[in-house]
Amino acid sequence: MLMGRALSPGLAIAFACLTCMIVAAQEGGGPRKTPIAGCSPVSRNFYPCAKAKAAAFQPPRNPDGTPNMNGAWNPATANGSQNIEDYAGDAFLNPQITLIVDPPDGKVPYLPQWANKRQDNWDHYIDPLGTCYLTGVPRQVFAPRGIQIIQAPHVFAFVGEFAHQYRTIPTDGSPHIGDSIRLFMGDARGHWEGNTLVVDTTNLTDLTWLSISGHFHSDALHVAERFTLVDADTILYETTLTDPKVFRQPWTMAMPLVRFEKGHEVWEEPCFESDHDLPYLLREHKLWIGLNPSN
Amino acid sequence: MDRSQSVKLIVATIALLVWVAPPAAAQVGAAGRGALPRMWDGKPDLNGVWQALTTADWDLQDHSARLGVPAGQGVVEGNDIPYQPWALAKKQENFKERATADPEEKCFLLGVPRTMYAPFPFQIVHSPDYIAVLSEYAHTTRSIFMNSEHPPGPIEWFMGDSRGRWEGDTLVVDVKYFTDQTWLDRAGNFHSEDLHVVERYTMTTPDHIQYEATLEDAKVFTRPWKISLVLYRRKETNVRVLEYECYAYAEQESARRR
Repeated sequence: MLMGRALSPGLAIAFACLTCMIVAAQEGGGPRKTPIAGCSPVSRNFYPCAKAKAAAFQPPRNPDGTPNMNGAWNPATANGSQNIEDYAGDAFLNPQITLIVDPPDGKVPYLPQWANKRQDNWDHYIDPLGTCYLTGVPRQVFAPRGIQIIQAPHVFAFVGEFAHQYRTIPTDGSPHIGDSIRLFMGDARGHWEGNTLVVDTTNLTDLTWLSISGHFHSDALHVAERFTLVDADTILYETTLTDPKVFRQPWTMAMPLVRFEKGHEVWEEPCFESDHDLPYLLREHKLWIGLNPSN
Repeated sequence: MDRSQSVKLIVATIALLVWVAPPAAAQVGAAGRGALPRMWDGKPDLNGVWQALTTADWDLQDHSARLGVPAGQGVVEGNDIPYQPWALAKKQENFKERATADPEEKCFLLGVPRTMYAPFPFQIVHSPDYIAVLSEYAHTTRSIFMNSEHPPGPIEWFMGDSRGRWEGDTLVVDVKYFTDQTWLDRAGNFHSEDLHVVERYTMTTPDHIQYEATLEDAKVFTRPWKISLVLYRRKETNVRVLEYECYAYAEQESARRR
């Protein structure tokens, strides 16, 4: 039993690299209690509070007038994407207060036929992040150690330190790529609604998860995201997931992204290149190859 | 994409390039340096999708064609790589073992400068403080931090630590803190963890960057040496850097067979 749990998906990430254990210590200490931007850090309270503050905030701007979001941003309440629902915590995963603000019960609205799938994933599969796959979307934004946002005229880049993944987001009105092209990180297109960057991501796969605990989606996932500066050092991040193959209804997470301290740099973390634990993980768990592995 | 497919791709791309070359060359004279796109801070605007069209990833030096490899003129100034005697023997051994020993065969990050001339598009996204180089190959990210110092070493990174500054309109990037785990091409040219690279990016037209890299490594070479090539802007109106996640595809294949 002990051996089996030691090789559980929850620890796959910790095994993948030594630095991840440091992350767990730094970011995984359970729910954050101190306020962020003058708001409670608990998502269901942070969301309305941050929205009201953002409406009154005049953000710093780039020369083209767009709000300036350049910098390195820390998803301070997401615990390195261990879980996204309420969780009491155990030997493997830290306590978590749900990041879900809609539906109000704070739970992922899975269709009845998928009600037990998350538990099955946790019991039998390796978190795709533990095998160094790309994070997918929206997990990129709240995976361990956050993202660097680089803002150029008509394009954003989000660069994550964990396993050197990235997403580029044109904001030039260009259309999505053809539907038959499927990408771990999807095809993202952005536009501005007032001071909010709105990102629409399609062309995703079912090869990525939403959390270490096994929350999942299909290749029909469509992700809408909204990034709004609440103050100079805080972004309100909202994301709505639609996936008629897996979810009863669209659902929404909201959380703060907090600016890392001045001088913080996103550095290289090779993952696959230095990951030697996969044979051990595969003794007790399977590689995740999508929702319908028989197809 | 196996190698024979990628050879076809690059041959097709070179054919296309030859076809479009005359109008592109004519633009140089007409536009001149003053017409370069500029960023908010007045520096050349390098944002866009770029790709090298040489055969340097197969072999940095002059080489005849062989099965799966297009012939190519080298990108090394003077064509000679000044290896120390032991290192030349090592390079020749690498060449013999290249089918399995090339880090690209393992889908590892390719390092610098190889990422810049690998046969994949890459996107540059830059703000005044930070230049991201994002390649289609194995979702490689390269961060070039502007006007700042290397952190204290020693550190070993696949892509090294890149610090950039502008010399007039030329972006100069100093890169160090490498591993000895990357090669310079598929022909077995290599370096040690002491590699130090100085890159110079000079936009010559809105669609061309002259790229130079000086390589210095006292463990492997007898003197610094230089490569020079052109980076071309991908002009397709819908161009997008996609994904080539080779290690993930290999793992998924083996999982399906289990």
